Amino acid sequence: MAQETGEIKTMTPRQRVLAALRREPVDRTPVCNPTSVATVELMDLVGAHFPAANRDPEKMALLAQTGHTELGFDTIMPVFSIIQESSALGCKMQWEGKDNWPTVKMAEPIWSEPQDIVIPPDLLKHRDTQCVLEAIKILRKRFGDDVCIIGKTMGPWSLAYHTIGVEKFLLMSLDDPDKTRRVLDKLKKVTIDFGMAQIEAGADALTLPDHATGDLVSGDYYDRYLKEMHIEFVSDIPIPLILHICGRTVDRMDYIAQTGMAAFHYDSKNGPGESMAEVKGRIALVGNINNPETLYSKGPDSVQEEVWKNLDAGVPLVGPECAIPLQTAIENLKQIPLAVKQWHKEKAGRT
Amino acid sequence: MPELSDVHNEFIRAEIEEFILDENEQRHIVQMYAKISPQMQDIAATIIDGDNHLSDELTKKALDGGVEAIQIMDNGLIAGMAIVGIKFRENFIFVPEVLACARAMKAGMAHIEPILSAAGIEPIGKVIMGTVKGDLHDIGKNLCIMMLRGAGFEVIDLSVDVSPEMFIEAFEQNSATVIGMSALLTTTMPNMGVTIEAFIDEGLRDDVRFMVGGAPVTPEFAEDMGADAYGANAVECVEVAKRLAGETQTATA
Ligand code: B12
Ligand SMILES: [Zn+2]
Repeated sequence: MAQETGEIKTMTPRQRVLAALRREPVDRTPVCNPTSVATVELMDLVGAHFPAANRDPEKMALLAQTGHTELGFDTIMPVFSIIQESSALGCKMQWEGKDNWPTVKMAEPIWSEPQDIVIPPDLLKHRDTQCVLEAIKILRKRFGDDVCIIGKTMGPWSLAYHTIGVEKFLLMSLDDPDKTRRVLDKLKKVTIDFGMAQIEAGADALTLPDHATGDLVSGDYYDRYLKEMHIEFVSDIPIPLILHICGRTVDRMDYIAQTGMAAFHYDSKNGPGESMAEVKGRIALVGNINNPETLYSKGPDSVQEEVWKNLDAGVPLVGPECAIPLQTAIENLKQIPLAVKQWHKEKAGRT
Repeated sequence: MPELSDVHNEFIRAEIEEFILDENEQRHIVQMYAKISPQMQDIAATIIDGDNHLSDELTKKALDGGVEAIQIMDNGLIAGMAIVGIKFRENFIFVPEVLACARAMKAGMAHIEPILSAAGIEPIGKVIMGTVKGDLHDIGKNLCIMMLRGAGFEVIDLSVDVSPEMFIEAFEQNSATVIGMSALLTTTMPNMGVTIEAFIDEGLRDDVRFMVGGAPVTPEFAEDMGADAYGANAVECVEVAKRLAGETQTATA
């Protein structure tokens, strides 16, 4: 079931992740953090705290690299939140403190109709998009070709939540599909432009969160509004894309698998077995260690158990299901790569 | 024992048959609807269908025709919401559809509320709801509020990012007996306990019942922080609020 081992020479973390994203053989399953591994403990360790680590490129890079240097993951992901481009679009922000994520004040949306949507010409010059681009450059220089650096560019569905307001946008999606499509169509420029700029800065792959989750909308919605657009992203953006949608998504994985994206970052509300059966090898899954119940509340043994469940099911990249809780213990996060190595030692070759 | 065929409205019959699959729940809903007049069933149907224009129109018509406001609220609007809540809980419908039902409910209530308050008709209870400090997730909380209002509660909505001080202030200004707190982030969940502590410090804890909910919250966590009850979804939120409001009424009586 699992990846072949044995004949494959030891790979660098970057080679390993990129091979897995192409669904090619790897020396061992890569450990990946497509959303965020920032924790308060890691912030203290390197002296790069929220909110500064979300706004200052040097601090952002410093905190991000702990994912590799301290935790032993094969990837580095400098974007800890989902708000950088929304801030650059002009959304009102709440930057919060050391112990909480920043957020958009969605009760005060900036737009309501498609014609309101104007992408600022200097979107990529704004301090909060620049910060990500600079951080990627710093990391690329610091780690050369050794580690896989993943960027993040938000999809139009998530951007609409931030700029129009979740409830208003969801009602629009029901009342006026045409208008909804016009909104998405205008916002997709942000996704592409910010993604391309991150490639230029040195990103190897991009996470593309687009929260059409089963907690909010039906699987049919994904097909109706997003599938075609996600296919377009694959042809417009020339590096591997990792779609991120948290929550229950099995009912839309078949559509997701048709987009041509390299990978889908999936949530623990979906079992590894049922998910693998749904995607049928058309897209690589990344995931799905549970955040609140396992990584945050339990110990290394439970983490190992969940990692192994994924490996046993043949999931090709392993990692937490979404941005991990900021109070998660480092010990639990370190256990993810350890558990992967242990699994390969004990089980690989026997499968 | 009333049968499904005793429900007059064809659309509602089909909804019950297709979506209310639990036998007890179905019996309960059929019993309720069998007693409701065809005209009120038509209003309930507009809620289930999420049609705010029709809900507005039929509510106005019923009032003009002499039906009592409280009748329309209980047998039309609230009865409709009961089916919506179950469909959402069972994943037959999702948030956009529920938001549309809420909008239809609001359209009807816009005619009903002024009449009820002018007549001095008391709500079945008063609840303060808010998402705790540092947390801006409010979709789940808003659905709970909608179901609470749909069940006849008066709800004071403190919105999001609500500090303990703001909960205390609202409590002191309103004669509410139940406070509902929502949190979606593990980083903000502890603020529920902090709020309860603040009520203890102010000597107000015995006058109020706390219910908590939100995806990361568990019954164990609720107990640890000293909450009185936990609710897993909007339907449970209503059940819990009814129970807690009952407790405080007997406690103060
Ligand atoms: C939609 C969403 C958002 C929207 C919020 C829009 C809004 N206005 O609410 C957006 C995209 C803006 C957003 C932002 C963020 N989010 Co968010 N978000 C979600 C998502 C996808 C769904 C939440 C939701 O609305 N569910 C639907 C509703 C109906 O369900 P519910 O809230 O659970 O409510 C039901 C019950 O819980 C119950 N209930 C709720 N409240 C109450 C109260 C009482 C008294 C009772 C009895 C019952 C009850 O009844 C409700 C109805 O049935 C979840 C993922 C998930 N799977 O849950 C992540 C999630 C909650 N978000 C998460 C994160 C990390 C964030 C951000 C920090 C991202 C960032 N900036 O990097 C910000 C935080 C902003 C902040 N400070 O609050 C994480 C939290 C992780 C953690 N460990 O804490 C989650 C869990 C994703 C994940 N898998 O990791 N998010
Ligand atoms: Zn997520």
